[in-house]
Amino acid sequence: MTSSTLMASGLSVGDVAAAPALPDVLAPRKQRSRIGMFMYRHPTIFVGGLLVALIVAIALLAPLLFTTDPTALAPARRTRAPSAQYWFGTDMLGRDVYSRVLYGSRISLIVGFSVALLASVVGLTIGLLAGFIRILDTVVMRVMDGLQSIPGILLAIALMALTRASVENVIVAIAVTQVPPVSRLVRSVVLSLREQPYVEAAVAAGTRTPIIILKHILPNTLAPVTVQATFICASAMITEATLSFIGAGTPPIIPSWGNIMAEGRALWQVKPYIVFFPAIFLSITVLAVNLLGDGLRDALDPRLAKRI
Amino acid sequence: MFAYAIRRILATIPVMAIVALFVFSLLYLAPGDPAAIIAGDQATPADVDRIRISLGLDRPFLIRFGEWAWQVLNGDLGVSIFTNLPVTHMISQRIEPTLSLMSLTLIFSISFAIPMGVLAAWKQGAWIDRVVMVVAVLGFSVPVFVVGYILAYAFALQLDWFPVQGYTPISVGILPWFQNLALPSLALGLAFIALLARITRATMLEVLSQDYVRTAKAKGVDQRAILFVHALKNAAVPIVTIIGIGFAGLIGGAVVTESVFAIPGVGRLVVDAILRRDYPVIQGVVLMFSFVYVLVNLAVDLLYTLFDPRIRY
Repeated sequence: MTSSTLMASGLSVGDVAAAPALPDVLAPRKQRSRIGMFMYRHPTIFVGGLLVALIVAIALLAPLLFTTDPTALAPARRTRAPSAQYWFGTDMLGRDVYSRVLYGSRISLIVGFSVALLASVVGLTIGLLAGFIRILDTVVMRVMDGLQSIPGILLAIALMALTRASVENVIVAIAVTQVPPVSRLVRSVVLSLREQPYVEAAVAAGTRTPIIILKHILPNTLAPVTVQATFICASAMITEATLSFIGAGTPPIIPSWGNIMAEGRALWQVKPYIVFFPAIFLSITVLAVNLLGDGLRDALDPRLAKRI
Repeated sequence: MFAYAIRRILATIPVMAIVALFVFSLLYLAPGDPAAIIAGDQATPADVDRIRISLGLDRPFLIRFGEWAWQVLNGDLGVSIFTNLPVTHMISQRIEPTLSLMSLTLIFSISFAIPMGVLAAWKQGAWIDRVVMVVAVLGFSVPVFVVGYILAYAFALQLDWFPVQGYTPISVGILPWFQNLALPSLALGLAFIALLARITRATMLEVLSQDYVRTAKAKGVDQRAILFVHALKNAAVPIVTIIGIGFAGLIGGAVVTESVFAIPGVGRLVVDAILRRDYPVIQGVVLMFSFVYVLVNLAVDLLYTLFDPRIRY
């Protein structure tokens, strides 16, 4: 017990003055800076956030990081091994793998963030409405059941087969697979919030439903949705790479990690580096976002953290 | 129990109907006019119209959906645009490798992940717990095809313990069959192992703090018996639920794993179909896998009552 908690418990130092001074058994608590304290309390948010920031910086600064044109063909220098000139080697068309991997981070980040945003906004809207409007609830939730019964990657493949390959279409196709879990989550939060006394009080006071949804319900759904969105971002990056890898994703002319791996596939037994460099970047990025999500969940939603 | 089973089975019918509606819309919305393709380049617009009417493509959406659904119920998934073979025939030719891959993955994952999760919960905070949690985070973060390439590079190319790729039917011999599938099913299993180990650890931690576990300890029951009999049995319901839910990821992962290891399964079939825009095949495979997924989760729900007789709905 430190002196501050003693005082908080109502005892003043004077009351125990008769006793001999206690030896200082507990080492004085190390004073940490605010950043140090944050690192100590949420190491995963710190490490994950730092890594994500690093990848974002790489994506933004790609032209400055000694890259060359990632699409420039040079048949004369095909499949060179990594060297001082070509850090990650060159692919079968002579393109610089280092430049392609760095520019490829842009696609993964754009897809990850956009899918997370799109799926959260749509899922929030559907979940809020379904939680409040009974008739809508049964219909919408049955549709979500159906949508969720189609394995995610297959649904995305099917949607991509319908449209032209483009980054926008990839984002929409992946977001569609992520809407059901978000709306289900939001709906469950809404259903439990509706029973809360403060919401009942608002209803009794005659507050209009849209105001209740926006002012009393929505703010309380944001924490769980943010956590969910982080995990969606991570899984969307994997799905984008997977779709591109099997030829149903980002158009091949755009360097994305999945595309680089798809192109390196034919040669991977002799030139494994073409596949491995984008693979390492993808894995580290997804790991960073997942760490961030784990940390956010522990910080924002302790109830959920205890369950898993 | 019996009434519950019947109700639960009936409840899957609307879900399957909605899945079927989605999958049908896929072909309905698919670009390209089948009538124009069949009529060929020389056809006049009148010819195309005639073919369209003879195929019944001019009728309303719901009527066509009804007819298609009736065909599906009779085991007819249509004909591939590319090979002109019935889709059911193409799937049945390719089903053995996929079934083998998924069953072996399930066996691997369950036999690795559950002991891992139990140990991690028992030794909470010890090194084994940390190792399990690191494996769990990695399993969520490293895509299945990356794991596949790393395993193939290390154990097939460098160490030469396993073949790099390909598939040997089980009828040729169980050993070559297993050698071909060992790496793919490990690669496919890692994410599943991560998921299962994590949920096993979490549920076991909860169960191990229960009074009856303390009582069992106090009366001197063997540690292993406490863990695997008393506790694991009561942790079974969430674990089985996750196996059911994780099955979707397993299906998606199988599609990719088959591409990495050149396994001629249903996953390869759908990947080839995408490149050829062979919509009936895509539709058939998506429909089949979705139905399998729904049925697996139905089975999981019915298993609950076996593991926990208290569950009555």
